[in-house]
Amino acid sequence: MPTEVQDQPKPGLVRRALIGRSPRLTLLRVVIWIVAIFALRTYALLPIRVEGVSMLPTYKENRINFVNCLAYAFHPPQRGDVVAIRYAGRSIMLCKRIVGLPDEVVAFHNGHIEINGKVLDEPYVKTRCNWEHPPKRLGTNEYYVVGDNRSMEFEAHTQGIADRDRIVGRILL
Amino acid sequence: MKDGFVRLALLLALASGVFWCWHYLFPGPELLIRKQLAQLALAASISPNEAPLARLAKAQRLAELFARDAQVNVEVPGRADQTFSGREEVQQAALGARALLSTLQVTFVDVNVTLAANKHSAITHLTATADMPGERLPEVEELEIGFTNVDNAWLINKVQTVKTLR
Repeated sequence: MPTEVQDQPKPGLVRRALIGRSPRLTLLRVVIWIVAIFALRTYALLPIRVEGVSMLPTYKENRINFVNCLAYAFHPPQRGDVVAIRYAGRSIMLCKRIVGLPDEVVAFHNGHIEINGKVLDEPYVKTRCNWEHPPKRLGTNEYYVVGDNRSMEFEAHTQGIADRDRIVGRILL
Repeated sequence: MKDGFVRLALLLALASGVFWCWHYLFPGPELLIRKQLAQLALAASISPNEAPLARLAKAQRLAELFARDAQVNVEVPGRADQTFSGREEVQQAALGARALLSTLQVTFVDVNVTLAANKHSAITHLTATADMPGERLPEVEELEIGFTNVDNAWLINKVQTVKTLR
């Protein structure tokens, strides 16, 4: 006596490969994947494309990268971290390196960054400059950020004090 | 069981349709402000080979989005600060920009609208990008745009740049 299962036509190979043996389970897996990717993309890893020359030679133009939005969930931003700084939102952001931490005094003298009067060692800077800027004291929740490309004019280079709440996360790669 | 799912799906589709129609026919203040911002971006943009009459019309349309006592203070690094008071000055500035630039593409992203408690004024924060001829990358600035409700129309009464980095 043939069983009920034997009576049903077997699904084709293509259908099995695409949908699997159980369409409901496959649908559930697809939904879980979509939710997981959406959550990851929104709250953890934000994809970005680097534009502009202010972070040369560390980050070349049109390079795809990610912002780790959870990088500072358990500790504050560190000196030397390359971070994403938001404007009004996260669609367009600035990519800069943190050089000054809260309550420090930051100045540019002879093209070198001085933190509390001491020259900061910056191995990532490959081009020297003659930037001069008077000392600025940072507030409790303020960080001084600047790009790695110092061959630009000081006025043409977007840099300065960023509030902590503007730092979205650390650049991953 | 299957019929139940179909009914539920139809009910959800109907509810979302009604919701969409309601918002389309009776838009709330936030939606109206967003529409005004879209109009502002459109009127501020300059298309290539714009006819003189079209330039005048667009500058006029731009000025009509502003309140009579509007204050505009835009600081762009590396460029002279732009300060205008009143609708007339805004229109003159728009005409002046059109005479200087051959093309300009203005877009607003990340628009956040905050309505005042009395719902007669609002503050918007947004990122504005301006693609200018001869510039490889667009100019990006964060703006704070204030709106006031005048005779059921949301008009701009304040524009100022927000310094992302100080």
